[in-house]
Amino acid sequence: MDEKKAAILGEIPRLRRYARSLLRDRDSADDLVQDCLERALMRLDNWQTGESPRRWLFTIMHHLFIDQMRKVNRRGEAAMLPLEAGEAVAQPAEQLEGIASREIIDALQAISPDRRAALVLVAIEGFSYAEAANMLGVPAGTLMSRIARGREELRGLLDDTARRRAIRIVEK
Amino acid sequence: MIRRDFSERDIHMALDGELPADERGAYDAWLDTNPEMKARSARFTADREALRSAFAGVLDEPVPARLRKVVLGETPVKTVIPRSRWWLAAAAAVLLVTGGFGGYFAGMDGIGQENPAEDRLAEQAIAAHVIYAAEKRHAVEVPASDKDHLQTWLSNRVGLKLVAPDLTANGFQLVGGRLLPAGDSKAAMLLYEDDKGERISLFVTAESVENAKGTYASAQDGPQAVYWLDKGYGCAVVGSLPREQLAVVAKNAYGQLLAGLAS
Repeated sequence: MDEKKAAILGEIPRLRRYARSLLRDRDSADDLVQDCLERALMRLDNWQTGESPRRWLFTIMHHLFIDQMRKVNRRGEAAMLPLEAGEAVAQPAEQLEGIASREIIDALQAISPDRRAALVLVAIEGFSYAEAANMLGVPAGTLMSRIARGREELRGLLDDTARRRAIRIVEK
Repeated sequence: MIRRDFSERDIHMALDGELPADERGAYDAWLDTNPEMKARSARFTADREALRSAFAGVLDEPVPARLRKVVLGETPVKTVIPRSRWWLAAAAAVLLVTGGFGGYFAGMDGIGQENPAEDRLAEQAIAAHVIYAAEKRHAVEVPASDKDHLQTWLSNRVGLKLVAPDLTANGFQLVGGRLLPAGDSKAAMLLYEDDKGERISLFVTAESVENAKGTYASAQDGPQAVYWLDKGYGCAVVGSLPREQLAVVAKNAYGQLLAGLAS
């Protein structure tokens, strides 16, 4: 096995984690990883020597993710899909998930894909602002504001979840 | 020690390891004098830990064989046509999850609408349920025995292709349906009953311009509504079932309604 392939293999666990944080559902996330790996293998020549395989692969996967999210939004196909989503969301997905994990995973899914990706790359995957900005193809300032807004949104959603747990009483 | 004004932006930078080392001392001192910022920093830190631990297990999972095979070239690499599944789920997740927090976003945008469309839909649906589900003999206008007519009639009136979902898998049989006012337009109500006499209703209207999803209850111990809004239609499933059970029935119903709309 050549070195490049070995390096790519070694990144799969990290790619899967990133995909899972973007998509939640395990099979869907692995499908995204598979798309990413296929694309990467077709473009092995684009991988410059010395470039971190992780950054290269994450960049490819992120673009696949964002492109599809945009297409879906533009086509308005979301309306056709909740059956799938119902399954995805209804799954007690990861048995390991505790309630707290499930809540934060749900909240993460609810923030905009751009913010979600920025936050995850830095807060979970541990990339620097410069690295993450480069992967996402945005200026550092944009990345920072996505992270800040993403965190605030996430916190707001978690507060909201806690609030919604108590039944709302509407005053008329 | 460098003296400068810190702001919330620095909380993020500090958390992400982007704060220059020589500013750290001044930053910590600033936090100590700003309890509000300190609390904020603590919450963000805790959220990050929660995020990390929520996904930590993924790294320990065995790599699926199909992914290894792609890299090892055991399956021919084909042109990348994105598989349907993942982006379907992604799109759907947007629809299903985002809207549930509509109130929050509204507040964030400074609109502060107390009674957005989704609340209105849920309230109408609950009101209809409270009135008609309690009726023994006059719960519906058209009974399930006349299902074809029921569907055609309601579809024409509401302006959506309505197919009454089959909820037998959840233990519910269609009782029938009726036409109701919904704001300036019309809504279809479909009533279901299980063998214990527990009733749930589906409330569908063609009037909606936003995407939202959520759960809503208008009074303590009253029925709850699980609702979805999308461009062109809104749907709420109302019942007094335990919330998880209601959510399961609602998902089943909603999936079939959508499939019907698209058919």
